[in-house]
Amino acid sequence: MIQLFNVCKSYQKDSAALNNLCLKIPKGDFVYITGPSGAGKSTLLKLLYCAEKPNRGQILVNGQNITRMRASRIPLLRRSLGIVFQDFKLLVSRTLFENVAFPLEVQGKKRYEISNKVYQALKHVGLHKKIHHYPLQLSGGEQQRVAIARALVVDPLVLLADEPTGNLDFEVTLEIMDLFKGANARGTTVLVATHNREMIRNFPRRVIALENGRLVDDSTP
Amino acid sequence: MFDKILYFFRRVLRNIRQSPVLCTAAIGTVALSLTIVAFFGIVVLNVQKLASHWSDEIQVVAYFEREPEGSRLAEWRAMIERMPEVAGVEFIDRDEAFKRFRQRLAGDADLLEGFGPEILPASLEISLKENHRDRQGVEAVVGRLRQNPDFSDFSYGQDWLERFEAFLGLLRLAGVTLGGFLLFAALFIVSNTIKLTLYARREELEIMALVGGTPLFIKTPFLLEGAVHGAVGGVFALCGAYALFQVFLRKGLGAFLLFSGGDQIRFLSFQQMALLVMVGMCLGLFGSVLSLRKFVRI
Repeated sequence: MIQLFNVCKSYQKDSAALNNLCLKIPKGDFVYITGPSGAGKSTLLKLLYCAEKPNRGQILVNGQNITRMRASRIPLLRRSLGIVFQDFKLLVSRTLFENVAFPLEVQGKKRYEISNKVYQALKHVGLHKKIHHYPLQLSGGEQQRVAIARALVVDPLVLLADEPTGNLDFEVTLEIMDLFKGANARGTTVLVATHNREMIRNFPRRVIALENGRLVDDSTP
Repeated sequence: MFDKILYFFRRVLRNIRQSPVLCTAAIGTVALSLTIVAFFGIVVLNVQKLASHWSDEIQVVAYFEREPEGSRLAEWRAMIERMPEVAGVEFIDRDEAFKRFRQRLAGDADLLEGFGPEILPASLEISLKENHRDRQGVEAVVGRLRQNPDFSDFSYGQDWLERFEAFLGLLRLAGVTLGGFLLFAALFIVSNTIKLTLYARREELEIMALVGGTPLFIKTPFLLEGAVHGAVGGVFALCGAYALFQVFLRKGLGAFLLFSGGDQIRFLSFQQMALLVMVGMCLGLFGSVLSLRKFVRI
């Protein structure tokens, strides 16, 4: 599903965010990307959803070489991905329904189809009763669940989560991880960038450890 | 296709409902800029109409040394009428000239007591075609007629014509320069106002790109919104210009036009009003185009 071949990425001349990284992540895997701050976790995810381009190397996602991809095709790639951020990135002036419906509107789905899918997605994360609420009326954990619903409503091939529980307490973290497990059980490949060791201990999966942009460990429990 | 258009317009209405202050700022900017443009446009158009009315008066009068005989007169008339600049020729004999002179003197007509038509020469009043009513046209006709020794003198308002042409040239230059400057300034201001509204929505634009929106999908509602702001601003500009027209122009410029022999002052025609609204729409649209370039990047 995801393959990286000798990928290098630098933001400044003398410091490499990623250094000669080689990885292979099969379809249906659940992978933690760990490491201290500045290890290159977020950079790796940004390369996968084409927010950045590598300076060297190749990246394949679902058989497509995204390093050579034309800018006009990037939106199409992103429609097969679900992305979850630490700061949720919800539209505060829109209801939960409108937030979760957004990716489906972008794909040009019909209104009745959107209504049905959005309701199901919000029901899955336990927020269907607050469908007409606004994000700021919810707690942090609820907002992150809405963000996950938005990511999963398009049935993505790959779910990318960048520090999804960074702002949340432990109990909420467990709820979020349950949602990721559920998505993975349904066939979605899941990558979670985190430095939360407790979360990894409670949900042991394959761990790819980065340090100073290099791969230092790749282990499966 | 129709569903997509309807979707975009729904998004435009939602955006407008959610940001009323920013929308008001954009509409207000367009309205104010176009009100000024419309105001000066009304002044320039009405003064140009007056100038055009004055140009109707441009003609050449060729005075005879001696009143001509019938057949020679017919020859001259035919020759002059064949000139490309000439629209028509009228022969004014001495009696007719004297009658007109008496009428012009009105209350002082008794000054002509003891005089007869013999004091005035016969003449040919030569009216010019519309596109030749300028110094070039007049001088071309006069130049040919001067070669004929039967004409003693010519009258064509030489000094006035030069000043009139200079005035027209200056009016056109001022109109184009001022209009161009005002429109450019309006575009700059509108673009920056729209940039502010987009800056307030930058997160929305970012999220649209992250969930797979193409640049066209992301930009289209904002472009439409810009066009709507511009069109609404244009309508408000018409109202503002009409208010200024009633309060300031009707009395001041209107009186000057009537005094100068022109028609009544007029507001913009229906086509000109439609053009103003279209210009507003284009201002809003181009303002959005310029602003979106900075914000929408995949």
